[in-house]
Amino acid sequence: MNKELKEIEKIISNVELNSQDQIQNLLNNFLKNHLKRSKIDDYIGDYPTFIEPVYLEDNVRIGDDVLLGPNVYVGNNVEINNYVEISNSIIFDNTKIGENIKLDNCIIGKNTSLYLKNINIENCVLIGNVITKKELYKIMFKFK
Amino acid sequence: MSGKRKQEVQRIKELESINLAREEVRDLVIATKKEVEKDNDLLAEQINNELKNYGIKSIDIVGAIGAGKTAILEKIGEKLSKKYRMLVICGDITTRVDADRIEQHNIDTVQINTGRECALNAYHIYQILKNLDLNNYNLIFIENVGNLICPSDFKLGTDKRLTVVSITEGEWVIEKHPMLFKMSDIAVINKIDLLERLGTDINKMIKDAKNINPDIKVITTSAKEGKNIDNLIEALEL
Repeated sequence: MNKELKEIEKIISNVELNSQDQIQNLLNNFLKNHLKRSKIDDYIGDYPTFIEPVYLEDNVRIGDDVLLGPNVYVGNNVEINNYVEISNSIIFDNTKIGENIKLDNCIIGKNTSLYLKNINIENCVLIGNVITKKELYKIMFKFK
Repeated sequence: MSGKRKQEVQRIKELESINLAREEVRDLVIATKKEVEKDNDLLAEQINNELKNYGIKSIDIVGAIGAGKTAILEKIGEKLSKKYRMLVICGDITTRVDADRIEQHNIDTVQINTGRECALNAYHIYQILKNLDLNNYNLIFIENVGNLICPSDFKLGTDKRLTVVSITEGEWVIEKHPMLFKMSDIAVINKIDLLERLGTDINKMIKDAKNINPDIKVITTSAKEGKNIDNLIEALEL
């Protein structure tokens, strides 16, 4: 699994050099072929809802009323705030997801902070720190 | 609506009691509750249409913790896994114990851990089905979280609903939980192998189910001994 994640990390660090299809294929391949079982036994938070497969690395903080899955990988030291919903996505290490954000078919790069609230985001790569929707659209790379 | 107030409404909604809402948010809480129920029913209808389009038969199973839902599913699985391409969606607060048991019968499973939610809802099922290739299946069972109360609030979009109780829960269990029996097609009274030892009045249980819902089919089973599982399969029209 680590090998595939490293490859995806490398690809998204320079998204423009890769085709949209290539990124979607990499994401699909990882979620379908390398994320078969859940690991949800160790997190900090208050009993979210999980639809398997969901894989949580270490020190993941999860807020209230969160729904994770199906097909979600969450890296180390990630903070997921209240009312968040994530499906079909990879969230890399040290990321913060703001309240009531809904993510589907996304890759969120390392050290990204989405400090904004109440937004549906789908089919894209996000890397960077944003507070407003305007800033979010600037860093958004749509691959579908 | 401010974030704080939204949070407050959410909390009250979770507690499922309008009485707890402060006077100034009471209307809002009632409106929110109605919307949630409406949305769930619409989604359930959409799910049922989608499953029918794929020619998939669907059944959801509800019942208290330890009534024998998984044991019955295992016995059905043993008999039908060669005839049907089956998927079982298992709902539990936590763990995948039930899904692991069912997988031993070569049946595909998906586990939902609902955490603080006491029942599955149509959105959980929608999220699972949307991410599966439905061509792979022609029979889907949904095993709800062990609970005789909350599942009655949420339709899941299946063709039939099966409620399982066991004689160990006492002869008043059906009379005390009328909502689920009203909306079920079949009632299973399980663990009849213990009838002699416990002396539960099973005739009262059957009578109660029929009084609550005259159309309900009542089957008495022993999942442990495999007794009357064929009758149940027949009642499910499988």
